[in-house]
Amino acid sequence: MKGSILPFEKDLEKSILAFLKTGLDKECFEAVLIPHKIPSDDNYAYLLIKDKTLLQGASPLPPVIPVQGAKAVSALTRWGPSKKKILAVMHPCEIRATVELSKLRQASLDNLVFLSFDCPGVMPLSGYVKNPGEGDPAYQDARQKWESAKMRPVCQTCSEFGAPASDLHIGLLGAEEGNAFLFPASLEGKRIMDKLGLETSASSDGWEREVEKLKKAREEKRRGAHQSLQTRVEGPDKLLETFSSCINCHNCMRVCPVCYCRQCYFDSDAFKLPPENFLARAQKKGSLRLPADTLLFHLGRMSHMILSCVSCGTCEDACPMGIPVAQVFSLVAENAQRLFNYVPGRSKEEPLPAAVYREEELCEMEKPYLETYARTGERDASASENK
Amino acid sequence: MSRDFTPKIIYFMCGWCGTGGSETASAYHLCYPENVLPFRVNCTGSLSSVHVLRAFIEGADGVIISGCHPGDCHYEDGNFRARRRVATVKSILDSLGLGEERIWFRYIAHGEGKRYVDTAAEFNDYIKKLGPNPLKERNDT
Amino acid sequence: MPQLLKISKSVDEGTKAFLEFLLKEKKVCGVITLRKIHGDQGIGYSLITRPDDLEEALPLFPLMPANGGKILSRLTLRGSPKEPVAAVMKPCEMRAFIELIKRKQGSLDNFVFISQTCPGVYPIEMSSGGDLETLASRYRENIQLGENIPETRSACRTCLHFTPPNADIIVSLIAEKDLDKSCSLFLNSKKGEALADGMAGERREQTLDSPELRLLHNKKKEERKKLFDEMGTEMRGIEGLIRLFGKCIGCHGCSYVCPLCYCDLCFFDSKPNESRPISYQGDLERKGATRIPSGTIFYHLGRLAHMSVSCIGCGMCTDVCPVDIPVSTIFSRVGESVQKIFDYRPGMDVEEVLPFAVYKEEEFQEIGEQ
Repeated sequence: MKGSILPFEKDLEKSILAFLKTGLDKECFEAVLIPHKIPSDDNYAYLLIKDKTLLQGASPLPPVIPVQGAKAVSALTRWGPSKKKILAVMHPCEIRATVELSKLRQASLDNLVFLSFDCPGVMPLSGYVKNPGEGDPAYQDARQKWESAKMRPVCQTCSEFGAPASDLHIGLLGAEEGNAFLFPASLEGKRIMDKLGLETSASSDGWEREVEKLKKAREEKRRGAHQSLQTRVEGPDKLLETFSSCINCHNCMRVCPVCYCRQCYFDSDAFKLPPENFLARAQKKGSLRLPADTLLFHLGRMSHMILSCVSCGTCEDACPMGIPVAQVFSLVAENAQRLFNYVPGRSKEEPLPAAVYREEELCEMEKPYLETYARTGERDASASENK
Repeated sequence: MSRDFTPKIIYFMCGWCGTGGSETASAYHLCYPENVLPFRVNCTGSLSSVHVLRAFIEGADGVIISGCHPGDCHYEDGNFRARRRVATVKSILDSLGLGEERIWFRYIAHGEGKRYVDTAAEFNDYIKKLGPNPLKERNDT
Repeated sequence: MPQLLKISKSVDEGTKAFLEFLLKEKKVCGVITLRKIHGDQGIGYSLITRPDDLEEALPLFPLMPANGGKILSRLTLRGSPKEPVAAVMKPCEMRAFIELIKRKQGSLDNFVFISQTCPGVYPIEMSSGGDLETLASRYRENIQLGENIPETRSACRTCLHFTPPNADIIVSLIAEKDLDKSCSLFLNSKKGEALADGMAGERREQTLDSPELRLLHNKKKEERKKLFDEMGTEMRGIEGLIRLFGKCIGCHGCSYVCPLCYCDLCFFDSKPNESRPISYQGDLERKGATRIPSGTIFYHLGRLAHMSVSCIGCGMCTDVCPVDIPVSTIFSRVGESVQKIFDYRPGMDVEEVLPFAVYKEEEFQEIGEQ
């Protein structure tokens, strides 16, 4: 792959904004969807910006993800594709989630161009909001070192940080001091770079090497993290211990980009049960945790969305009780997605695993029938035992 | 333990081949353990994963899901979808150590009465060996 | 004058003993109370039917992982239990339940309520990974001082309804000096007396009102005025609202945990509330930039319009907010002004009709006149 060198004198963000301004000027796109600091200076929000002067305060590399970008794109395009061409500046996981949502028909990718960048991770939201003065330098530090215990736990073990599931990608790894790479990752990206007169002659070998190196390190870290997480969630006892402080607020579900249902099944009539049901269950087990069906909510949510989980970690940020939701879901997601060799959001054309099937697959799952299992005598004996 | 323990087993079967299998079995006067509780769904493809999970959490020791053989589904591809869905649920339970082996997925044709009762009996014995589902006694689910 | 039943056990053990008595004597078929979840890891409500399970109960624990009124509403939405059930609820949870009953979201039938003179609860985050034992003893030490307990929810420190008028039994907590040795239960109704009939303990007549309760009421009133005045300034005008709600991420956790927000599908999550591309386009042309997703402040104003008249000030909303917006202070303050307009006291009397369910032909003449 070949790209362009993007020099930035002091401030990478300012150079990216200058690039975006030029893009708007030359009508490569008509509006930019990009995070922007909010008036109280302690959080960020997505703004769809047409007016170049308003781009000044925007932040292409924000230290937090308050609203998952895919949700923002879905809000914009759920009811139909954008009539104007929009460039969306988002983290790789947000772009992947948007691709997943487009497969689920909750977002339209028409007229949408993605600009991604090598992502150092983001910080847990509530800690940042409480003290942005401490958060900002911590984020800058993570951007320098690509390794920080202050980022979201799932970010620390993410190996999809450089994956360009996008049209344009800003490579930060392997670039010389004061430079970044700008790669076209699709035809549309190339078209934009051509229109802007940006040469695509710089080699990406150095970048690719660094990405590969960091990817391996992250994969290694994830293996270790999953091993230790496994001990905290394996078996009913450990799993329920991890979820013992869950208050059933469903924040995790609501901020998840993949959970798009307006009314979640777990909030529907199916769970508005008569008092006899609760009392019967309480009598059977001696007592019944209320609100009921806490574990069922989490396992059920997994069964609904795990194949599209991009391990972004927004759920864990939103949990008021500090439960490692994202880590657990990411662990389960990796195993479930591996079954189908599926990586959510890696390709717009790749269909959702639940929407397709092969005639011959998963044969190991179907329990083989042993004709010799039950001789008549044995079977009837076991039947009469149970009387 | 396996002597005293009568597992509670839910047998999800599709309304076409699954229950057909049970009807064939009854035509041949074949028996299966009475603690295996049949639960008809229209098609295994219409069986929501949440019902399987709910069965586990609320007291089932094991769950069998049976539908038409590949290619025979009345709704064309319901059984294919079910296979993927059950594989996903089993993967989830496996990742969390919640006993994915307590879910069996087996195809039963309309005329396979013996296969139907053998499945029920085999699973019953299997679950008896495994013991009661540790989730069902918990009051913190 | 209500009867007072004094049990010679610590207030926690005494209350547990009373609940055990109710279950064993089959006066109730179940008890809804806080209990330990998984040892000391968490705390949550539980419907307990087996007396042995009461061992893990923490009926008076200073935490509110979910508003009990919401839980009772879930239980009684489709009917009432066939046998009596006892519910150990804090005063605001009872008030929430009463407001929900007015909206046909629950029923009082076959319930008996055990409440307390409530010194307040800690924010829920203080329980995660924390030591429940330490939290409880810190709380007990502070109760005797009869002051606002530090670190409790601001909703609690400014609450003026910490004595539940509608409970059948009220555990006396505020300003009690001997919580380690004695448990005082006020039998506040005929039902309460019938429940306690047969329970071992000293009985005498005593009024619930006391100088300590009145003193604490005044202290809370002062703190409430101070907090509301400060918030009044902070939330003034659109600038104020933007400053406060700007960082809202639209998770709607506040409405989800709010007992009064009972709608299966909130209007603000529904289709009609979603902006079509044309409106985003329009906003973009008009303003040059527009926030995506839109309607952040609209959601809060709308929720105020829908439920502030019944806001009972429990503080669940602030606790669950991932970005620490002081939702409950804002909503309580607005709620207070709205309630004043109709002279309405939410949750006090199930017979008091909701202000929007009635009207008088001659009222608010100033609205609608030139």
